Amino acid sequence: MVNTNIYTKELKRYRNSFIGWSISIIVFILLGMAFYPLLMQGDMLKQITAFFENPYMKNIMTAFGTSLDMMTNVLGFYSTRNAMFIMLLGSFYSILLAGKILAREEREKTAEFLLTKPVTRLEVVRSKLAVYLTYLLLLNIVMLIIGFISLEIFKGDSQYSLEAFFILWFYSFLLMLTFGAIGLFLSLLIKRGRPITNLSIGIIVGGYFIDVLSRVTLSADKIGYLSPFKFVDARVLRSDYSLADWRVIYFLGISLVLITLTFVLYKKKDILV
Amino acid sequence: MMEKMYVIETRSLTKYYGISRGIIDLDLKIEPGEIFGFIGPNGAGKSTTIRTLLGLILPSSGSGRIFGLDIVKDSKEIKKQIGFMPSEVNYYEKMDVLELLKYSANFYGTDCSFRISELAETFDLDLERKIIDLSRGNQKKVSILQSLIHQPPLLILDEPTSGLDPLMQAKFFDILKEENNKGTTIFFSSHTLSEVQKMCRRVGIIKEGKIIAVEDIENLRKKQLRKIQIEFNHPVKIDEIYCPGIIDPQTDRNNLFFLFSGIMIDLLNVLTGKDIEDVIIEEPTLEEIFMHYYSEENGQY
Repeated sequence: MVNTNIYTKELKRYRNSFIGWSISIIVFILLGMAFYPLLMQGDMLKQITAFFENPYMKNIMTAFGTSLDMMTNVLGFYSTRNAMFIMLLGSFYSILLAGKILAREEREKTAEFLLTKPVTRLEVVRSKLAVYLTYLLLLNIVMLIIGFISLEIFKGDSQYSLEAFFILWFYSFLLMLTFGAIGLFLSLLIKRGRPITNLSIGIIVGGYFIDVLSRVTLSADKIGYLSPFKFVDARVLRSDYSLADWRVIYFLGISLVLITLTFVLYKKKDILV
Repeated sequence: MMEKMYVIETRSLTKYYGISRGIIDLDLKIEPGEIFGFIGPNGAGKSTTIRTLLGLILPSSGSGRIFGLDIVKDSKEIKKQIGFMPSEVNYYEKMDVLELLKYSANFYGTDCSFRISELAETFDLDLERKIIDLSRGNQKKVSILQSLIHQPPLLILDEPTSGLDPLMQAKFFDILKEENNKGTTIFFSSHTLSEVQKMCRRVGIIKEGKIIAVEDIENLRKKQLRKIQIEFNHPVKIDEIYCPGIIDPQTDRNNLFFLFSGIMIDLLNVLTGKDIEDVIIEEPTLEEIFMHYYSEENGQY
């Protein structure tokens, strides 16, 4: 069971940071998508086409999982930006929140207060996890709504599949969840709850560049699977674009295993404050 | 056969942090309604004992029961009945005092608003201040309130008086006595014996992770340990006199000081005929008795 006392208090504690992140992401989505109509205007596209014919640029686009076709479709454009910014921001939010929500009690020595109240360790983890999941879900709902609105506002003549948008959104959500589980688990391995901010950023930036690298170099393709980013399918314009079981199982599997391990570890952990 | 019910009972409770010693084979029995002083220097294992009792750390071996419940399996049930004051206060800095106390009270499912304002008045504590803006002494007061508001039948206090001014200490002790009169059992750790001797009926002395003595305060005094100072009319050597029961003799020019646990008449016989100017026989302070326990354990006389 979730302890409502902890849940309510922690929800309040992380509310302002959630609002901050949400606003940044709204601005990122809307500003980014506002470029789409500009790109499609008159001869802008021709200039850009010429620019993108350059083999060097083509490589860069491949690296970021996009192409001229992608860039000129509204959902393709959204997906490119999603991969470059929105998913990345969301992953940072997720890993940072999960990485501190539990460990912070030890670092700030409030664990001594909390764990001498009548609560079990498992209730504490469940309540904290519930707060994390609430905010991750809310942030993703913000992304879904603002994403949809921006597509509708800026699409012009371009057509897109709502289903594909939804699938892309769901992959992003799973990716963020996985990073959260990684953050939560790692934060418990560190003694006395020391912050894992740098490690978290390293993991995401590292994962991102492994993915980029694997796209540029054919021989590095397999290495890409070391990175969770690789498991997000962003090829939204393909006719067979769908949720692949193995990708979903990968994300949910990693998350479940790490969250389970968190429960097991925290139950036995000596709290030294 | 009914076993006697203790409020706290540990059996060979042992905790190692990796290879470093926490507590070893701790056997403690705290009776209902008593105020028990748990004395030892820093690093002796006082906090380790308390943390193990409260389930913050898990014992390496041995067992413990509080109100007959297992400290590992039934920790949550146990904690419903405990008020705990840590040695160092660490609270959520951005909360104000009232928020923190309500957060604390909510865990026990009781409405403590009246008790909060009553105690806040007693201790002259401003409930609207933020935790981070409070002085150490005021934070300590929050900690006192936090341990008392749900009226637990057992109070575990880890060096509770550090950081409290004498006036507040007196108020705090009054409240503890009041609670104790209502039947609350109090487990009180400290590194100064003089502090607990005012409060406690029994003390346990812990040293290097082991309990070395559990005594009634009265018995400690009645051990007939005496503090003796003899002034000779010549510079004195440390082995100037010999009598069984002389402990830890020290000299200062013409003076010989020692603790004496032997038979007084024997000592007086030994002294008869010596060139003595003056003899002072006093009751030692508990502090000195305590030091005696320590030196005895070490075998350094």
